[in-house]
Amino acid sequence: MPPEPVGRPAVGLLQLLGTFVRLGAVTFGGSVQSWVHREVVERRGWIDNKAFLSGLTVAQVLPGANPVNIALYVGLKLRGGLGAVAAVVGMVVPAFCVILCLGYFYRGYGHLPVVHFVLAGLAASGVGATLTMGIKVARRLPRNLVTALIAVSVFVVVGVLRWPMIPVVAVAIPTSIAVAFFANRRTADVL
Amino acid sequence: MSSNRLLGLILVFSPLSILSIGGGQATIPEIQHQTVVVHGWLTNDEFADLFAIARAAPGPSTLIVALIGWQVAGFLGALAATFAIFVPSSIVMYAASSWWLRNEESTLRKAIEQGLAPVAVGLIFAGMVIVLRAAHAGFLALATTAAVCFVQSTTKVSTYRIVGAVAGTYLLLFAVLHYLARA
Repeated sequence: MPPEPVGRPAVGLLQLLGTFVRLGAVTFGGSVQSWVHREVVERRGWIDNKAFLSGLTVAQVLPGANPVNIALYVGLKLRGGLGAVAAVVGMVVPAFCVILCLGYFYRGYGHLPVVHFVLAGLAASGVGATLTMGIKVARRLPRNLVTALIAVSVFVVVGVLRWPMIPVVAVAIPTSIAVAFFANRRTADVL
Repeated sequence: MSSNRLLGLILVFSPLSILSIGGGQATIPEIQHQTVVVHGWLTNDEFADLFAIARAAPGPSTLIVALIGWQVAGFLGALAATFAIFVPSSIVMYAASSWWLRNEESTLRKAIEQGLAPVAVGLIFAGMVIVLRAAHAGFLALATTAAVCFVQSTTKVSTYRIVGAVAGTYLLLFAVLHYLARA
């Protein structure tokens, strides 16, 4: 179903819980946010891309597991406090049950090559989901030199040079926010 | 005695929850240090086993604490450890998100939003490269990555079907490769 262009679609608490239960049960570490983006923004149109991206960044910057944080943000935005609880419970409970079952069976089957092979495939598909999200999000960035410079340097320094993320982010975020703040003020002055 | 162990789990994991900036992956080394070296709840080999299970399981990898809790104090231990690792950080996230969603018109919020976007994009692509490198990704993995990205960008096929299709294809592929290796 295409998202309504005007007004926010009403999302039921059970619908919210059900979506995150399914997401929590089938998505794997490191790529969970990308699958959430696909379900909540691309397929269901519950929140728009800009709102999702700012929530995702807050989720990444603050302490806590990213999937849990982003679930909390989406739930809070759609249905307030109860929504936040429903989304987090949906994200954590199935995964909690699965991991305990796996822990129980792992010693019997963990050495099988087929298990490792399929897990590698699922990991690769997770990277694919992240690539899709990255491309979509990057295309919606404002087209200017400073924005591109910040995005590329964060990528190179963290992804290629492997500098630790926390100090890099501690410098990059205030710089980037200050640049945006003063750029906005200058445009406001001109108008 | 059992309640002492539960308390121990809570006292170890709740501070880690607040310190887990940068997501679960960043916390794993500290969880290892606390549970293996400081408290001696499990050996290094046991920790490596539990870590492999956590990576194979869906959801956040921080859920390794559920397995550790289970090992230390049974099912109640698993529950206590899970609450301890998720509740404190969620309270911080809740407070920050509430402010965030209430101040949609503030100029500070607009600047924060614009400033965060390029940093987020840089981190998304950096995280991808790190995962691919850690997995020693070969041709098959890169082809899978490209195929999933293509399907997602051009269709609206549901997440569950894509994950199912990848798992099915890999099972089939494994069977074929196994058969060819024998023949």
